[in-house]
Amino acid sequence: MYIFQKCYEHKQYKNGLKFAKQILSNPKFHEHGETLVMKGLILNCLGRKEEAYEHVKRGLRNDLQSHVCWHVYGLLQRSDKNYDEAITCYKNALKRDRDNIQILRDLSLLQIQMRDLEGYRCSVLEAKGELFLALGRTSDAAKIYRELLQRNPENRSYYGALEKALQPSTVDERLRIYQEIREKFPKAILPQRIPLDFLSGKQFEQAVDAYLQVSLTKGVPPLFVDLKPLFKDKEKVQAIERLVMGYCDSLKQTGKFHDTEDSPVQPASSLLWVYYFLAQLFDYLSQSTKALHYIDAAIEHTPTLIELFVVKGKIYKHARDLTSAYKCLEEAQGLDTADRYVNSKCAKYMLRAGLIKEAEEICSKFTREGVPAMENLNEMQCMWFQNECAQAYRKLAKYGEALKKCHEIDRVLLQILPSCFNIGGLVKECYISFGQHFSEILEDQFDFHTYCLRKLTLRSYVGLLRLEDVLRSHEFYFRAARCAIEVYLHLHDHPLTEENGIDRIDLVVYKRAFA
Amino acid sequence: MRVKIELGDVTPHNIKQLKRLNQVVFPVSYNDKFYKDVLEAGELAKLAYYNDIVVGAVCCRIDTSENQRKLYIMTLGCLAPYRRQGIGTKMLEHIMNFVQKDGNFDNIFLHVQVNNESAIEFYKKFGFEIVETKEHYYKRIEPADAHVLQKNLKKSAEPVHEDVRKKNRNERVNGVKESEP
Repeated sequence: MYIFQKCYEHKQYKNGLKFAKQILSNPKFHEHGETLVMKGLILNCLGRKEEAYEHVKRGLRNDLQSHVCWHVYGLLQRSDKNYDEAITCYKNALKRDRDNIQILRDLSLLQIQMRDLEGYRCSVLEAKGELFLALGRTSDAAKIYRELLQRNPENRSYYGALEKALQPSTVDERLRIYQEIREKFPKAILPQRIPLDFLSGKQFEQAVDAYLQVSLTKGVPPLFVDLKPLFKDKEKVQAIERLVMGYCDSLKQTGKFHDTEDSPVQPASSLLWVYYFLAQLFDYLSQSTKALHYIDAAIEHTPTLIELFVVKGKIYKHARDLTSAYKCLEEAQGLDTADRYVNSKCAKYMLRAGLIKEAEEICSKFTREGVPAMENLNEMQCMWFQNECAQAYRKLAKYGEALKKCHEIDRVLLQILPSCFNIGGLVKECYISFGQHFSEILEDQFDFHTYCLRKLTLRSYVGLLRLEDVLRSHEFYFRAARCAIEVYLHLHDHPLTEENGIDRIDLVVYKRAFA
Repeated sequence: MRVKIELGDVTPHNIKQLKRLNQVVFPVSYNDKFYKDVLEAGELAKLAYYNDIVVGAVCCRIDTSENQRKLYIMTLGCLAPYRRQGIGTKMLEHIMNFVQKDGNFDNIFLHVQVNNESAIEFYKKFGFEIVETKEHYYKRIEPADAHVLQKNLKKSAEPVHEDVRKKNRNERVNGVKESEP
C-alpha cells in the first residue's frame, strides 16, 4: 500500500499499475479491495475514467470497512467536481479511521469550498456561543449550547455556559435544564452528576441514591473521586455514608441495594464496589481502622482486583505507615506488571519509604533496555520521579544526591540559589552536565517560532507561548526548588565534617559549595 | 444490568492473578513448574473475567498416557461470590470446543475430591461420568480420596500400536468429514 502511495504521489503511474498487476495476479488477492481502488485512482490520473470508476467501485464493494477505499472514492468524486458526494465519502472514511489527518484535511478543504461552515469545526460553534454570551444575547447563546450538547452531552463547560444563558432563578428551574437533556440522553453521566452539586436535602438524597446505584452496579472505579467535591458539605457526606452503609447491609442479606420489591438483584460485583467505596470514604474521613476493615472485606471477596491493593496502600500512606503502604503497591504491581500507572505509583511509594534502589528497579520495567533506569528517566524528563527521589535522598541525609536530583530538574536552582545563601557558585561545576529540564524547555521554545508558523498551528503556538511565560510557576519546579532550598539551609546551619558520617560524594559537593 | 463474562489469556504480566486465584479457590497449592507450563498452554489456560474482574481460571494439559490422547483438566475454579452464574460453564465450553475442533482426543478427564458434590454435579451436566475412585490421591487434605471424572469423545477401542492408532484416527476423522453434507 505504501509503495502505491509513493507511486501515486510521485506520479509514477506506470510503476503503480505494474505493482497493482503483480498483486492482483496473485489468485489469493485478485479481488483485494484496497489494491483495486488504488489501481482505479491511477487509471483516473491517466484519463481512463470509466475503467477508473469500475475499479474503485469494485474495490469498495470488496472492502467496505477500509478507510482507504472510501477515501479514494471521495478523491475520484472530487476530481469530477461532485463535491457533495465526495464529502459523504470522506465522512465514511473518517468513521473507519477517526484521526486520519490526510482525510481530515481533504474534508475540510471541501467543506470550506462548499461553505459548509457548520460542519467545518465544532470550535466555530463554541466561539459563537462565547460571543453571544459576551454580547448578552442569551437566547442565541442557549440555542448554540443546546446544539453543542446534542453533539457531546459529556462536556462540562457547555452546561456551565447553558446555565449562564438561561439564568435559572430557582433550584427547580436549574434542575429542569438537566432533566431535559437527560431525557434525550438517558445514559449520559454529566446531566445526572452536575445536579448533585446544587441539590440539597431530600432532593439530593434521592438523586445521589440513583447515581450511586447505577455506578456501583456498573463498577465505576473512580466513583469516589467523582463524588469527592461533594464532601465539603457535611450533610452530603453523611447522606452518602448512610446510603452506602445501607447498601452494604442489604446486599449481604438480599443481594439488592434496598430491601424492596422493585429493587433489582445485583451482580456479585456490586458488593465488592460498595466495600471499595466505603474504604475510600472512611480513609477520607481519617478513620483508618474502619477503612482497613472494608478494604480487607473487599480483598476477601475478590482477591484478584488490583485497585483494592492500591487503595489499601493509600490508607496506610495516610496513616503514615510507609512500609506497609509500599508493600501493598508492590503486591498490586505484581498482579499486572503491564500496568504502567500502578508501576509508577509503586515506585513513588517506594521512594516515600526511602527505597531508592528498589524504586529504580521497578521503574526499569518501563524504561529503555540497556540504559540505567535513572539515566533514562532523566533523559525522558520524568520529573515526578526525580522530585520524589530528591526528597528521599534529603530524608536519608544524602544531601549531595538530593541536590543532584534537584539540579537535574533545573540548573537555575544551582546557579541562583547557592549565591542567595552566600555559598558561591562553585557547586555549578559538578552538575552542569545534567538534564536541567526547565531551562531546556525554555530554550527549545526557539525552534517552535518558525515551526508553528510554517505549519500554521497558531492556536497551539499561542498556547505554548503562554505556557513558557509562566513556566517556572509549574508545581514540579516549585517542589524541586523547595527541596534544594531545604538542603542548602540545612547545610548552612549544620556544617559537615569528615567525622559525622556523611558519605564521600556529599563531602565533595559540600566542600566545593562552602569552600 | 447484563453481566459480561469473557475469557482472556494468561501472560507473564498477569500470572500472579492466576496464582492468587488458585490459592483461594483450591485447597491444594501448585508449584512453580505448574505456572511455567501454564504460560505455554495457549488456549488450554484461560482467565475468566466477570465485568472486567478476574474471578475464575481453567488450566489443562494434554496427557498421552495409556496409548491415548487425553485432555486433563488440572484446575477449573471460580471465586466463591461469583459461583452459579455461568462462569464455570463458559470455561468448560471453551475447553470442549477446543477438544472438538482438534478432533483427535479420546477423552477429557479430571480429579475431584470425593465430597465435592457441587463439582461432581456440574461435570455430570456436561456428560462426565465417575470412572474410578483413587484412594489417598491427595496428600494434605481430607478426604484424601478422589473420583476420576471422564467424558469419552470416541467410541471405538484403542489399538495397541501407536502408528496403527494414528492411522485409524485419521481414517475415522476422514470418515466423519466425508459423511458431512
